[in-house]
Amino acid sequence: MTDKMNDPVALWQRMIGEMEKGFNSLATKAMETPEFSQAMNRAGGAAAGAQKQFGDLMEKYLLSMNLPSREQMTGIAERLQSIEGQLGEIKSMLSQMSAASGGSQIGAAPRPPRTKRPPSEGGERK
Amino acid sequence: MNAPTGLDFAEIPERIQSEVQRAIMRSIKGVEYFSTSGPTLGSTPKDVLHSRGTMSLYHYRPMSDEIYRVPVLIVMATTNRGYILDLVPGQSFVEFLLKRGYDVYMLDWTAPRPEEKSLRMEDYVLDFIPDCVRRVQQDSGEQDVSVIGYCFGGVLSLLYGSIVNDGPMKNLICFTTPIDFREMKLFSNFSDRRYFDVDRLVDSVGNVPPEMILSSFEMLRPASRTVSQIQLWENIWNDEFVKSYRMFDRWATDTLPLAGEYFRAITKDLMWDNKLFNDTMSVGGRAAKLENIKVPILHAVAEHDHIVPYDAAKYLIAKIGSEDKEEVMLKGGHVSLVAGANAVKRLWPKLDSWLGKRST
Repeated sequence: MTDKMNDPVALWQRMIGEMEKGFNSLATKAMETPEFSQAMNRAGGAAAGAQKQFGDLMEKYLLSMNLPSREQMTGIAERLQSIEGQLGEIKSMLSQMSAASGGSQIGAAPRPPRTKRPPSEGGERK
Repeated sequence: MNAPTGLDFAEIPERIQSEVQRAIMRSIKGVEYFSTSGPTLGSTPKDVLHSRGTMSLYHYRPMSDEIYRVPVLIVMATTNRGYILDLVPGQSFVEFLLKRGYDVYMLDWTAPRPEEKSLRMEDYVLDFIPDCVRRVQQDSGEQDVSVIGYCFGGVLSLLYGSIVNDGPMKNLICFTTPIDFREMKLFSNFSDRRYFDVDRLVDSVGNVPPEMILSSFEMLRPASRTVSQIQLWENIWNDEFVKSYRMFDRWATDTLPLAGEYFRAITKDLMWDNKLFNDTMSVGGRAAKLENIKVPILHAVAEHDHIVPYDAAKYLIAKIGSEDKEEVMLKGGHVSLVAGANAVKRLWPKLDSWLGKRST
């Protein structure tokens, strides 16, 4: 068998692995500094600010085009969500009523009995 | 063998032939890779028991003739999709549980809608989880429920268990769950209160975009994505490697946005004030002390977890009020602890042997 120390493919793979570890470790050290946090958050804050300004501008544009704004769409979505919630509640109540009256749920497969016991120590698994 | 260099010259032609064959296979499989989609994930048969905004509750169809009395509710982390625990047949944690006789439910998350930016920590801890627990009780007809929380799903489960401590939770299992957020050094530095204006961010963007969440995860190991792509090219001739790569890569990049107010609370209460560790955490005005949790608990941590380092998770068991408590450290990383070939032989059997005897 070829010695792994002299196998060029294994050497290449080990080199990649070591490079990954080295770079990650170096980057971690740099990212643990307060300077990094400051720089990263300055850039992130600027991006978030720009995104907000762009959003405000877009809203004005949509208004001038007589199109619904994001806020209006959100309002509709909230109403839809509320309807979805109420439908879910009705469905749940119907299921409960069906279960209480002894009827099985439509399309529901029969459930296995809840009688399983853990296998004994060293025993055969069921 | 050539003694000074250790090279076996007789093997060189064979090795060259093998490398040439692999190079050819790489070209063929490389084309195949880009022209096909990956394996179907999360395909274990299930029913959607309830869905409300960002929250979905699934019930997986039993795969055993006889099941344990106590159902299991898996609470997924809010940053990622639950199919990491249901990859493909043979590598699905959910399928494993079903075959071992558990009745499995999962609280999974979809991307919060823009109007859900106002969801707060209390919505997750005091509404979504209790709502799911109640529905599991109704559906299963059992009062007791075991809860399994993965990563931040574990944090939510801990908060729920510490507040509703006389409730239906019979057992609690946490996978890689941080409680000491100072020890998540890089995240802690990224969100340094001197430089990170969380109010400005949340007020500007509403929900925190998934790209930002993904970037912060990737920054923990900045070289790893590039190296994994090199490894993919080297191993593209190997179908099993490619299948595994595609599964994990798809999941890792399928990050969810976080509801704005919820993110604000995580940053201020956990990252800045470390309230869970300091026993000063409260949710919706109700104290959430870990010592209030009295149910049996298992905490599984990974030896090489770069997202939740052991230092961030190690005091969980000590701070829990239960008498029946155990921590198990297993080889692997944050994801390989719960999914993939290593999990199949390490975590899953351990969990089964711990939970089985507490599920009757």
